[in-house]
Amino acid sequence: MFKNLFFADVKMMFRNYQSIIWAFMFPIIFSFIFGLFFGKDATSGTIAIINESSSDISGQYVTALKDSGIFKIVEDESVDQAKEDIKKSKLVGAIEIPKEFGEMPQAPLVIPEQKLKIIIDPGNAQGNSAMTGFTDKFFSSLNMNFQNVKPIFTYETEKTTNLDLGYYDFVLAGILGLAVMNSSIIGISVAMTKYREDKILKRITTTPLPTWIFIISEVLSRLIINVLQILAILAIGVYVFSANIYGNIFMVILVALVGALLFQLMGFAIAAFSKTTDAAQGMATAITIPMMFLAGVFFPIDSLPAWVASIVKYLPLAPLLRILRAVALEGNSPFIDMKNVAIVLGWIVAMLAISIWKFRLTDE
Amino acid sequence: MKKVIEVKNLVKQYGKINAVDGISFDVSQGEVFGLLGENGAGKSTTLEIIEGLRKSTGGSVKILGLDIKKNKNEIKTKIGVQLQSSAYYNFLKLKEIVSLFCSFYGSCLDPIALLDTVGLKEKANSYVMNLSGGQKQRFSIVASLVNDPEIVFLDEPTTGLDPLARRNLWHLISDIKSKGKTVILTTHYMEEAEALCDRVAIMEKGKILALDDTHKLIEQSKNPFTISFITEKKKLNEKIFGQVIKLGEIENLFGKQNHFILHLKTREALNKALVLVQKLNPESIKVGEASLEDLFIDLTGKTISE
Repeated sequence: MFKNLFFADVKMMFRNYQSIIWAFMFPIIFSFIFGLFFGKDATSGTIAIINESSSDISGQYVTALKDSGIFKIVEDESVDQAKEDIKKSKLVGAIEIPKEFGEMPQAPLVIPEQKLKIIIDPGNAQGNSAMTGFTDKFFSSLNMNFQNVKPIFTYETEKTTNLDLGYYDFVLAGILGLAVMNSSIIGISVAMTKYREDKILKRITTTPLPTWIFIISEVLSRLIINVLQILAILAIGVYVFSANIYGNIFMVILVALVGALLFQLMGFAIAAFSKTTDAAQGMATAITIPMMFLAGVFFPIDSLPAWVASIVKYLPLAPLLRILRAVALEGNSPFIDMKNVAIVLGWIVAMLAISIWKFRLTDE
Repeated sequence: MKKVIEVKNLVKQYGKINAVDGISFDVSQGEVFGLLGENGAGKSTTLEIIEGLRKSTGGSVKILGLDIKKNKNEIKTKIGVQLQSSAYYNFLKLKEIVSLFCSFYGSCLDPIALLDTVGLKEKANSYVMNLSGGQKQRFSIVASLVNDPEIVFLDEPTTGLDPLARRNLWHLISDIKSKGKTVILTTHYMEEAEALCDRVAIMEKGKILALDDTHKLIEQSKNPFTISFITEKKKLNEKIFGQVIKLGEIENLFGKQNHFILHLKTREALNKALVLVQKLNPESIKVGEASLEDLFIDLTGKTISE
């Protein structure tokens, strides 16, 4: 009974290849987009360097800037051309090094002030701070060398983890949660309302098949799709964009599947309240889209105003992502913060209760 | 005959409306029983209560001696249900749907052999969406036979089909009957009920207006006999025509000036009228019986509409 239904469900899922393709495309597109912006080869953009000086210092500066890999660099533009390109957003900015920059007089009684010009687009704060930040750092050590002084006030950085983690790693774990959320909530709520509209649910209740077997089979067959989704996202992240996953891959999948279960239950709850497929689709979108932005898929929740953060951290996706990141990025146990586990379990119980209370295969 | 379905004082309320209003009937083993009525008469609701899909507000239903409220699961294994305009899975082939539904009952008939009984063997590897309307209905009936049920419920099995496909289905239903199964069907096609049903209940607003053997019902009609005749267009003998009209109720067939149907109460009147109509030199004359439709019009004062 169960075996036949389960295999039939899996078969149908794969035959409905259009819907499968979209279940995969969405998270994969996100993995690619963020990978291109923030993956290992990502830079802060392209800048032009107009170097008219032939001094050692200007040479060292340009070399250091190239080596830093912060920007892609073009060197064959004129100042006017560069300004035009900045206006057109083809360039993040330009650095103009005048002819006499870095030329040291033979008898250095007084060295004249040496200035290079950074041409910026006021709209691009990130690019500007990267250009000025790099130049500041380079010049202050240069200045101190020349004046033969040692810095008194310095700093050192200490990482809370020795793991090499970047923004892309953070986002990739977010996309995992996003993928299981979208495919589970939308998948279940739309499929169930469609089945109800087509009277397939009603037809099934005329047979001796127990409702719980029907539901378990739906849930499990969808989890198989979720596993494939997770593997596809991780493969793109790790092999194409060199994302860092330090956790046990099976544990990552397991945590994501617990999330999938929670969101499938949410799908059943939505189906219970939606009379038509369109209504279910609308309600599912109204729930997933805000959650995508508020639950910390792309940006840490802490960037939100404190009172908003204190609310949205309880959205079901939020604790799931915290657990997922702890497991995938830091290789921790999923139980390292029991508060997150408790919130996830709380949502599962709540959604299960609503589904049992309201979801029916037939009208009565 | 053993009674396989016993319905007593069945009531179904939706708010203040009685969709089913205290109806009682029995269905005997091996017969085809028809529930006839317009949309909204309460046919489907009645059927779905008997099938265990809806809960009744009052009354009792026994199927094969089992109370529907207490033995729902046991009953489900012994009945086959075809729902009104029910779709099946889009991404399973016909033979896969049949064997899937078989598995719900624990035992499996050969799906291909089963499809063969309704002429769908060649379509075993097709999807439901690639079937014609008639094929879909035949499939939906065969899907209700997977568990070799004792009672088969068919809810408007021929609605929306073309005449040929409908006739095709009538053969299928009589095949089911010939295997000793009891069939209970709803329809709003009078000729379908006349052709298929051993007994018919006519429903209107949740009540049963008439229930009897199909031919007895028709005889209960106010005017059991009819003469249909076409007179010459040019002239009509007004004097004789006047005498004809007095014998029964005359009806002018829709818009045709010279085509009449005379409804008659008795065989005596029929004989008299035949002699008179002959004198009109009709181009065509046909003697017939009342139909279930005539009875329906008598009972409800209106024609049945789809």
